[in-house]
Amino acid sequence: MSVEEIELDIRGQVCPSCLLLSLREINRHHAALAADRLRLTILTDSRDATGTIPGAAANMGLAAAVAKVEGHYRITVEGQRESQ
Amino acid sequence: MEPVALTALATSLAVGMAAGFVMHRSDFCLAGAFRDLFLFRDARRLRALVLLVTASAALFELLRLGGALPSYPFPWFAPPAATSIIGGCLFGIGMVLAGGCVVGVLYKLGGGSAPAALALFGLLAGSAVYAELHPYWQQAAAATTLHGAAVTVPQLTGTAPFWWVAALTVAGGGLCRRWRRQGLWRTPAIHAEGYLPLWLTALVLTGLGVISVFGTGMPMGVTTSYAKAAAFLENLVVPGHVAGLTYFSGQPLLHTLPHGGAQLAGGAGPTLDVVALIQFPLIAGIVLGAALSAWRLDEFQPRWRLSPRQAATVFAGGVIMALGSRMTPGCNVWHLLGGLPLLTLQSLLFLLGLLPGAWLGGRLLTRLAAR
Repeated sequence: MSVEEIELDIRGQVCPSCLLLSLREINRHHAALAADRLRLTILTDSRDATGTIPGAAANMGLAAAVAKVEGHYRITVEGQRESQ
Repeated sequence: MEPVALTALATSLAVGMAAGFVMHRSDFCLAGAFRDLFLFRDARRLRALVLLVTASAALFELLRLGGALPSYPFPWFAPPAATSIIGGCLFGIGMVLAGGCVVGVLYKLGGGSAPAALALFGLLAGSAVYAELHPYWQQAAAATTLHGAAVTVPQLTGTAPFWWVAALTVAGGGLCRRWRRQGLWRTPAIHAEGYLPLWLTALVLTGLGVISVFGTGMPMGVTTSYAKAAAFLENLVVPGHVAGLTYFSGQPLLHTLPHGGAQLAGGAGPTLDVVALIQFPLIAGIVLGAALSAWRLDEFQPRWRLSPRQAATVFAGGVIMALGSRMTPGCNVWHLLGGLPLLTLQSLLFLLGLLPGAWLGGRLLTRLAAR
């Protein structure tokens, strides 16, 4: 099964819009994310968001991984099964 | 420059750099402490603030008892007026809309945040607007003064400060221990490189507050210098108008530098006085310290991705925050980190206004900016 990819670039955003925008995007695609039909990649320069976005994803039954890439952070949100 | 003045300047710069560095590492946003509680039911930063206030209260009181506190209460705190509540409320609204408080925008600016620069312009603009309103607001403050002499709760009640601080320390310390048992200092796990836990930064800021008091005779504060910077800029364009403004022409703030310094006067006007001596280096230090942190992490990458609506909200937040800080008078750092540990009445009234302000700011933010 192919997994669709969506990228949300919220670098340069003001707090707490990065978390609000991420939550809105996760909520909008929650069913597809949970079913492993979609992977959401969030690019952020908010250091705090590297904890709050994965925490919010976990609360929604999703998995999130954080990686630092070229001075910013890439947070990948996907279904629990995919990440295990 | 006299050695004591040089010491004060160097202390402010060093304290600012250290504060900017650790605040960037932890994203220690005091605006977020209140905003996140109301918007996300997230009390992580508020817990760190409780730790900071509690530890500062205990340390300042120990120093006072040991005769090592340069003055009690700190300079420039005045008897309370109800206008401080309005100022605190406006400050709360403004800091949430601006995406950071008066110090938050500095460490975020140093960290490479372009929106923080816009908020800073708003702070300067708001300070200039306040200068026009100052005579009227001064009358309102005088008319709503709640007590003519008492600056702190212990002075109001005629009780030794020790007992009030002991009660505060027991209550705050008990909460911190309880949160530690519940594991709340460790969640959520932040994955940012070089991250410092909030509790650690709270304790570092406590120490820096003490160093600031030793070196300059007062706790950290920056907002009078925002007004001063606005006055300098306005003076370039309309010097005659600036000279005619009461707020920019007076030097009502008196301060004796510790370690044998002379008494100096200061104010918000376009002059290099004791306010500039202490606050300008602190401002520069916070920006530089945060920039150093971001540079070492390769995270200094300014970007602009705000919609016109978001940009207008951030700028307006800066303006409102500046108005609130001048109306109180004083900012959240001045009151929460300097005044609250001493239980100053002005700071308690500021906090009383700040809480509903932050709630209202969050409501406005979700309607205006987060779209």
